[in-house]
Amino acid sequence: MDGIVLATLGAALAAVLAGIGSAIGVGIAGQASAGAVSENPELSGSCLVLQLLPGTQGIYGLLIAFVIASNAGLLGSGASITVQQGWQYLFAGLPIALGGLMSAIFQGKVAVSAINMVTKRPDQSGKGILMAIMVETYAVLALLISFLLVVNI
Amino acid sequence: MIVAMKRLRLIAHKQDEADILKSLQEAEAVQVIRLLEEAKADEELDRLEQRGAQLTDSLDAVKPYAKKAGFFTPKREEKLEQIQSKVDEGLKLSRDLEVLIRRRNTLRAEIDKNNSTIAALRPFERFPYEMQSVEQSKHVRCFLGLIASKDLDALYNQDFISVELYGEGTSIAALAACHVDDAKAASTFFKSIDWTDVVFPKLSGTPAEAMAALQARNDEINRELEKLEEELKAFAENADVLQDAADATLIERDRARAATALAKTRSAFVLEGWVREDEAQKAEQAVAAVTDAYSWEIFEPEEDEIPPSVVQNNAFVKPFEQVQTLYSRPDPRGIDGTPFMTPCYILLFGLMLSDAGYGIILSIGAWLYLKFKKPRGMSGGVVRVLFWGGLSTIVWGVLVGTFFGLSLKEEIGLFPLWFDPMTDSMTMLGLCFGLGVIHILFGYILKMKVAFDNKDWQSAIFDALSWILIILGLVLYLVPSLVSGLPAIMQTIGLPMAGLGALLILLFKGRGKKNPLKRTISGLGELYNVSSLLADILSYARLFALGIATGVIAQVFNDLCGMLMGGSNPIMAVLGFIIGCALLVALHLFNIAINTLGAFVHCARLQYVEFYGKFYEAGGREFVPLGYRTKYINVEK
Repeated sequence: MDGIVLATLGAALAAVLAGIGSAIGVGIAGQASAGAVSENPELSGSCLVLQLLPGTQGIYGLLIAFVIASNAGLLGSGASITVQQGWQYLFAGLPIALGGLMSAIFQGKVAVSAINMVTKRPDQSGKGILMAIMVETYAVLALLISFLLVVNI
Repeated sequence: MIVAMKRLRLIAHKQDEADILKSLQEAEAVQVIRLLEEAKADEELDRLEQRGAQLTDSLDAVKPYAKKAGFFTPKREEKLEQIQSKVDEGLKLSRDLEVLIRRRNTLRAEIDKNNSTIAALRPFERFPYEMQSVEQSKHVRCFLGLIASKDLDALYNQDFISVELYGEGTSIAALAACHVDDAKAASTFFKSIDWTDVVFPKLSGTPAEAMAALQARNDEINRELEKLEEELKAFAENADVLQDAADATLIERDRARAATALAKTRSAFVLEGWVREDEAQKAEQAVAAVTDAYSWEIFEPEEDEIPPSVVQNNAFVKPFEQVQTLYSRPDPRGIDGTPFMTPCYILLFGLMLSDAGYGIILSIGAWLYLKFKKPRGMSGGVVRVLFWGGLSTIVWGVLVGTFFGLSLKEEIGLFPLWFDPMTDSMTMLGLCFGLGVIHILFGYILKMKVAFDNKDWQSAIFDALSWILIILGLVLYLVPSLVSGLPAIMQTIGLPMAGLGALLILLFKGRGKKNPLKRTISGLGELYNVSSLLADILSYARLFALGIATGVIAQVFNDLCGMLMGGSNPIMAVLGFIIGCALLVALHLFNIAINTLGAFVHCARLQYVEFYGKFYEAGGREFVPLGYRTKYINVEK
């Protein structure tokens, strides 16, 4: 197998898995937001912020996918990489792929609870956001590791 | 800085009650303490609550028609008398509006009813007789209904029933008839097949005629509804009056609610409350302006009374109070973290966003918003925080970041001035952890300060200084092995320093306990917190990661739009250029929005968890003085 195929797989996994996580997270948080806003339209601002939070993992995944694609020469430069480098790109994409997938889903669940909290206590939205941000920490760390691994290949 | 709060007891004549409350409300300095339980419903309060609800309903009703306030349009400023004079007009408008709305709802309900009748008649569209002509006679029994096409044969086989069909498809309209003597058998038969009885509505003419008539009626109603909508639109022009009336009602209601909290005799009343020490005089003057017959008593709160939490800071630090409030107000017996958190927040925010171009956009945007919208309260604070964060972003962007995702060093040899984290990632990680260590040390120093302020020198040394020694010692010990060219003496000082800190904790953490074994165990438990300290420091890696998220995503967007613009065909090149430019602006705005949100919340988290966790006592109550808490306008004084 050519190294470039492995690198492509790594980029695809980073974008797809983190994207799936974000889609699920933003999706369930969006359902909860819709419910909250139907009760009280004034909450739409804080609900929107809470719904957006699980969306960042998908962006992180896209970021790593793009860095892999550009470093491995997938974007038309035509440079060839060895099979070993290909494996390296594949594994370097995994932290954000899996970390993003799981953290986005669970962040979405926390966001749902936080939105439910905001409907009862609109003044507490700051704490709800903080709770959701705690989960995102691990996506941020995964992004960092993926990035460092990719750029140092 | 936490403002000292005083208790207040005011006794005055009942006849002055209304005027005194008005005057105190204008002063906005006193939070009234409820002396009586909210016993029976207060008529005045109920009346005002209802009035407020009515006005709010009207505003909601005209909201779809009112013109939207612009993004930069500030709240109106009105004089109190001005809005109070609008109450009667507002109520009249609201009543007229209610009539309109009721009429509209009736008409809409009629349309719905007509539509469902039309839908029910639709299968009988080809029924050729007057609907009311179908009736039971002396000898003939009629059955009107819908029959499933699969049961048609069964129906034809019943020779005592004659039938006429008026349609086709799976469910067919049918009129069946039989002799009265066979009626029972026919009913039983219809129950055994897929047959649905239908009763015509009390309408004249054939079904088709009735449907046409209903449709005509609906058209007529729709025309009237359109006229009603026009009238509603005209009402929306007067939304200002409704808003004034609603706010005036809110102000009056707050006063009525405060009045129910007072203790009263036949001729006097007692008001107890909280007042800021520096505003006590202002509050007293508000009372003195009404009457000179009053007793005014200011005293220290009792031991078991916890005052509301109020902080006061200079104009620069003030907006950051909102960041603190998002977490929790400070315990009034603790310390206000805002002045200490402010510089840290600005510093770390900029490093997280770290794109000079985005910083410029953010600062200018925030500045414009402040200048034109003049926001107050929470949003005003947050926007000011973003303004300062934007400035810091510009500085960090020049030092280690990008410019709209471009690395200007490569392009035109400008910046990053210091180093480029993309190529020098280890230096960047070191910078993040270094800032983290300083931030955490600062937290422990504040813990020491709080302990000294409370005259608890033991806690200052054993709980705070010991940790400072450990952190400093470990840093001194570890740094020379990572960075070359530092004197070796650092390591020789560092290790004993950390050891001294650990020893202090081991020996004195459990200083309340007599048993030396238990003492050591609680010391060991505390020492185990070294691991959470390590986690705290590693948590600052997010500074780097969020910086990447901004810069690299911006670069990705630039590359994408660059690909779009690079068409070889001249028409495609022009088209690609136009689309690419528009897309570039939209994508960068999106990136600014999402990363500003990220930087704001992640930076806040570093303050709350890593920094405040060391010294801050949360859990203060909000100070809510009797004042003008309006929704739509600002009261001009």
